[in-house]
Amino acid sequence: MDLSQYAELFLAESREHLSACNQLLLDWERNPASPEPVGGLFRAVHTIKGMAATMGYGRVADLSHRMENLLDHLRRSGRAPADEIIQLLFRATDALEKAVGLAVAGREREADLAVLAEIDRAALQAKPAPQPSGLARHFVEAPEAPEPVASAAPPGSARLVHVVIRPEAPLKGGRAMLVVRKLQTLGTVHRVQPAAAAFESDDFDGRFLCELETARPAADIEAAVRSVGDVEGVTFGGGTDESQVSPAESVAGGGRTRHIRVDLRRLDTLMDLIGELVTERGRLNDVAARWVGQDPEIDEVAIQISRLSADLQNEIILARMTPVWQVFDRFPRLVRDVARQLDKQVSFRVEGKEIELDREILDALGDPLVHLLRNAVDHGIESPAERKRHKKDPEGEIVLTAVRERSSVAISISDDGRGIDRAKILEKAKREGVVDPHVESLSDDQLLRVLARPGFSTAESVTSVSGRGVGIDVAMTRIRALGGSIEIRTEPGKGTAFVLRLPVTLAIVRALIAAVGQERYALPLTYVAETVEFGTVPLTTMEGRDAIVLRDRVVPLVDLRKLLGTNGGAPAPPPRRPVIVLEMGERRAGIVVDGMLSQQEIVVKGFDAPQGTLPVFSGATIMGDGVPALILDSAGLV
Amino acid sequence: MSHTVLVCDDAIFMRTMITDILAQAGFEVVGEAETGTQAVEKYRQLKPDLVTMDIVMPDMGGIDAVREIVKQDPDAKILMCSAMGQQALVVEAIQAGAKDFVVKPFQPSRVLEAVQRVLG
Repeated sequence: MDLSQYAELFLAESREHLSACNQLLLDWERNPASPEPVGGLFRAVHTIKGMAATMGYGRVADLSHRMENLLDHLRRSGRAPADEIIQLLFRATDALEKAVGLAVAGREREADLAVLAEIDRAALQAKPAPQPSGLARHFVEAPEAPEPVASAAPPGSARLVHVVIRPEAPLKGGRAMLVVRKLQTLGTVHRVQPAAAAFESDDFDGRFLCELETARPAADIEAAVRSVGDVEGVTFGGGTDESQVSPAESVAGGGRTRHIRVDLRRLDTLMDLIGELVTERGRLNDVAARWVGQDPEIDEVAIQISRLSADLQNEIILARMTPVWQVFDRFPRLVRDVARQLDKQVSFRVEGKEIELDREILDALGDPLVHLLRNAVDHGIESPAERKRHKKDPEGEIVLTAVRERSSVAISISDDGRGIDRAKILEKAKREGVVDPHVESLSDDQLLRVLARPGFSTAESVTSVSGRGVGIDVAMTRIRALGGSIEIRTEPGKGTAFVLRLPVTLAIVRALIAAVGQERYALPLTYVAETVEFGTVPLTTMEGRDAIVLRDRVVPLVDLRKLLGTNGGAPAPPPRRPVIVLEMGERRAGIVVDGMLSQQEIVVKGFDAPQGTLPVFSGATIMGDGVPALILDSAGLV
Repeated sequence: MSHTVLVCDDAIFMRTMITDILAQAGFEVVGEAETGTQAVEKYRQLKPDLVTMDIVMPDMGGIDAVREIVKQDPDAKILMCSAMGQQALVVEAIQAGAKDFVVKPFQPSRVLEAVQRVLG
């Protein structure tokens, strides 16, 4: 049997269970007296063990088996575990996670199993005193104590059946129990030796005898016993009586739902193909518009194709959507580890776990969130002593929230810590020449821009946790590459919140197609709030830039002609130019273009911008006529 | 007509593997369950010819599920899927009415032998 096809599934499912282990350990650490976590831990580790054994990953199976053993003892002892046991289980879970990864990569031999000795020692200490199994009570036919069988047999009516289970058979006691059950269908089993309780022991050697009262001939009994499987030998010595055999029947039918598992790469390919289809659909619409006078049917076909491809696209987008918990679930452990390392007390809460994002966006989001969470623990939350001095709860709070907005998802990381010291940042920014020397205060936006400069760090000391000045700038670059934005809100003494906004799906977006000079540009609708006409709204200036006044709010303008340096060869701008108003959280900007051509779906292709390219493009797309157009990055414009 | 099977295991990995082994041998897997409660529920709905039952599952374990199913249908044909070291649990499951058992890691031939025995 080819097992390699199951490796991905093994990895994915093991990771889910490991993530569950971390969550359960966190719960247990918080409330050691709670009886629930240990049961869940036991099941998760047990499942990994079974899967690993099936895959032939011996070291993973061994590690999980010994963890399971320890957990089983802890579960049965029913006592709250000592903190060091929980810490050991955290380490063991880490070791197991590494071993799983190495096993799938074909490097299982490199797995570090140093923790095994500690696990075994702890398991030995946790082992509860031996107790008689509850099972013996269920076994009504068995005598309390085995006696010499021959002397106790009812004279003349019973046979002694000696059975030997094959030495190589697994779980011989189970097999023996099946034999006993089988014999019960032939007659009455008066006695079993050793008693059935012995079957439960791993030491059971597979040899036993039953006293069976039955009228059936020896050949029938032997056939029945052998039908159980794994039987090495059957021998007799005794009398006869009557019996019955139970009938068997089966019924089929009922409602059925089916699931199949699909490799993510298949979905990616499908998405690419649908992307091509959407592009071709655009072409078909162009052609149809030209030919509709000669044959109106072409229009009908084009409309049908549009509708069908839109449905297809929606289905595939839905298939790619993944709930954020798949990435968020590892964060409670991360926050706890960082907090412990820094001697801080932090309670961590996640809200909106069920919100869904495209798998690709979600995967890319992991690292930036790790940076921001580490920052929140390290720089945001104060030490318990400092919090007490400021009359705050010594335990700080960090909340990670996902909320669905119009066509984007907002993810916020907020802490109730000390907030960012604007004065200190301003002073440092001035010293480094990042801001004008006579600026008196920093707005949230300016603050973020300063913080996000590569290498800008305000941490007095660089810790191993964060503070290398890379966090925010790396996070910001990553989020922007996904077509998203970052916002910051901070208040001294009260805390800091970062809000990331991301498109729900990457591959296909609705966009406005705008003309500037002879070029076309696509502007994703995600952040388009409205469009107005230049000249119909009052003009003003803001910080030296042209701006319009829109319902009492001043919106700075960005003239794309000027920004993109549209050359003199281009036709003169039309007298009435449209303004596309972008809105990203609190920030707005009006983009002045020459004209608006259409609104359509575009397929986003990432591109590596050459050095020196304006940081206002997030990608490119192919228009219906086959000509490429650049996609404007809203975050770069606002 | 091929025999119908209900596969009960909390791990997708295991369900996939068992389903593959059985499907290749011509069985029809008509349902899957992740917990004992689901297993009992689906047994009632689907009335499969055979059930494969994991012992350790969340919510309701495999042994309790066997008891419930056998209460509904004394002739239910249930094959336990156990791991090494679960001797006592397997014995208990058989007491509860399971008809046979296989031990992880699964060898397809042994699984199919057990299935044939259970279906008689």
